[in-house]
Amino acid sequence: MLGSYYYHEIIRKTIISFGTLFNDLNIKHKDSSGGVVSQLKVPLAYGPTQKFLARLEQQANLDKPVQITLPRMSFEMTSISYDSTRKSGITQTFRAVDNNDKMKKVFMPVPYNIGFELSILSKLNDDALQIVEQILPYFQPSFNITVDLVESIGEKRDIPVVLNSVSFQDDYEGDFSTRRALIYTLRFTAKTYLFGPVADNPEGLIRKVIVDTYSDTNTQTAKREMRYTVVPDPIDANPGDDFGFSETFETFTDSKSYSPTRQSDI
Amino acid sequence: MALNPFFLQGSFGEQRLVQELINEQLKIYGVEVTYIPRKYVRKQTIIEEVQSSKFDDNFLLEAYVNTYDGYSGAGDIMTKFGVSLRDELTVTVSRERFEDFISPFLEDESDQDVEVAGRPREGDLIYFPLGKRLFEVKFVEHENPFYQLGKNYVYELKCELFEYEDEVFDTSIDTIDTVLEDQGYILDLTMFSTGSGATATASVGTGYIQQIFLDNDGSGFTSTPTVAITTAPSSGTNATAVAITTTRNNITSISEILLTNAGTGYTVAPTITISGGGGTGAAATCGIITAHRGVISFTITDGGSGFTTTPPVSISVPPLSPTISASAKAVVSAAGTISEIRIANAGAGFLGSAPTVTVGTAATTGIGTYWFNEVITGSRSGMSARVKRWDSDTNILRVGLTSGYFFAGETLTGAKSGAAYVIKNTGVANTETDKYRDNDEFETQADSLIDFSETNPFGTY
Repeated sequence: MLGSYYYHEIIRKTIISFGTLFNDLNIKHKDSSGGVVSQLKVPLAYGPTQKFLARLEQQANLDKPVQITLPRMSFEMTSISYDSTRKSGITQTFRAVDNNDKMKKVFMPVPYNIGFELSILSKLNDDALQIVEQILPYFQPSFNITVDLVESIGEKRDIPVVLNSVSFQDDYEGDFSTRRALIYTLRFTAKTYLFGPVADNPEGLIRKVIVDTYSDTNTQTAKREMRYTVVPDPIDANPGDDFGFSETFETFTDSKSYSPTRQSDI
Repeated sequence: MALNPFFLQGSFGEQRLVQELINEQLKIYGVEVTYIPRKYVRKQTIIEEVQSSKFDDNFLLEAYVNTYDGYSGAGDIMTKFGVSLRDELTVTVSRERFEDFISPFLEDESDQDVEVAGRPREGDLIYFPLGKRLFEVKFVEHENPFYQLGKNYVYELKCELFEYEDEVFDTSIDTIDTVLEDQGYILDLTMFSTGSGATATASVGTGYIQQIFLDNDGSGFTSTPTVAITTAPSSGTNATAVAITTTRNNITSISEILLTNAGTGYTVAPTITISGGGGTGAAATCGIITAHRGVISFTITDGGSGFTTTPPVSISVPPLSPTISASAKAVVSAAGTISEIRIANAGAGFLGSAPTVTVGTAATTGIGTYWFNEVITGSRSGMSARVKRWDSDTNILRVGLTSGYFFAGETLTGAKSGAAYVIKNTGVANTETDKYRDNDEFETQADSLIDFSETNPFGTY
């Protein structure tokens, strides 16, 4: 029943959109006279990865001379949950035009909240503070990004990314054999939308309009007097074409009415 | 007296003997490690952190590896921040050797913010040559073994693999300094090589457009308009031209029209039509010469290299009457080569053989060889960085510890080597050495997804 294949990569796009918010954060280090001695862009990556790939890529040289290079940021998707507060009618559809100017029928998207966790690992508390301070003011508590969720119909949606909480871990206590771990964790919710399949519009374009005019507003008793029919000319014209209209006026003296269901006069 | 006076609890001679035996054992069974003291570049108060450090000294020291059957610690583990190597190492060094051969040097570093000199210090580094790894001393145990013959003879250094950020490594031991060559935040800068000259040849013909006259430069162009020239008779070749636009007071108009091919075989002056580009009003005419030879086109035989500005192009004076000199303009590609030579005036009076074309020399003169670890400074940005690698074949300069971003076209001068080259284009953060970073990839993919054009009432970029 559900089997028609489609994949809009919406969750992946949401991950990319979330990641790009934090991909250009820099920190600076100064010398005792206040001059900048180094400025570095904080590396960012999506945390979950294939283990063998991580090992091969990050430790191609088995004699890696250091434990890790810091600071680093990593994020990962932690949850996917339905957001009933943004619910819209499930049977509603809307029309959209795809890349080839074809009319498509799209069901209303389903609101989902994607949970993200951004972690910052730093060697120095000051580094982490520099990073965090460059992030937090943008979230009040949300920051909106406009994402082209379904490229084929150009469906752009504002996705608020809400900062839910900031926590940090600084294990500086204990014996000296334990490493000090300095990790800031920022939790976010991206309020995205999941789209169902984009189908060809079965109803097609309106290519014929029939207007019957009556002598009175009470169509139960009044009889129709005139029918106005209009069709595009040529009949197979598309919305983007240069086309005209062909109009027909018919006068009736019968007492019939047009049945839309039977598509005939009865 | 509480202790038995007939027994010595360790005489000086005995203590001396034990220390000598330990020193000897360490020299026989130990590993020659390098002790690298940390120097503080900046120590931050309140939060109490050494924000910037440098390691520019080295002391060879024999050390016994306590964990002789391998590193201790958690080993290589996968974390959300990538692969983390949690290897630990415990080494024992002679107390006497340290105090005699290292401490005096540390005390002499009076200008440095070194707070402890008489003993190994937490935060200093040990280079372990067998694994080619840098370990940071995290704890110095001085009472193990516990007061044998009334004295302690060794320090036990508990170390873990170093977490690298942007510390300066200039120990003058290449094997140590170069282990970090590909670690940390790195920029690869492509430099102009020593410029080489470009060469070109000209072909001549008759029935050509000598020059295009811009009668009206038009206005309101948003892009370069197209110049169309009516075709030559069937026996000739069609002339082609390009428009060059300029912007003054926010109005873009055509500054000149240059011929890319002057054409041949024209008997009457062709019509020139300027279209597209969003502007209006531009018009041009041209004059043809049918009785004499002029320059029809140029062929680049060697594009040269290292051009940052447009070099002059000179063409030999035509020997025959009416002796109208030809003029042309070179086009410099993004790669710093001459990609094209366009005709401004085709001249007249050339012989059947081609005239001599001379292209000006490249303006850039990169010289020297950058030294490893030297500081380079940008001429315009004033930013500095340290050389990690200089590849003179590809002209790629890998730098670390940058104090900011460099500009394309500025000269980077090495403080020690004096080498100076011009940056071709600013490098992007290196992604080859640090595979655990996707900053640029996120940007690239998001460019096609995120709409930055829409004003967002709830937040802005």
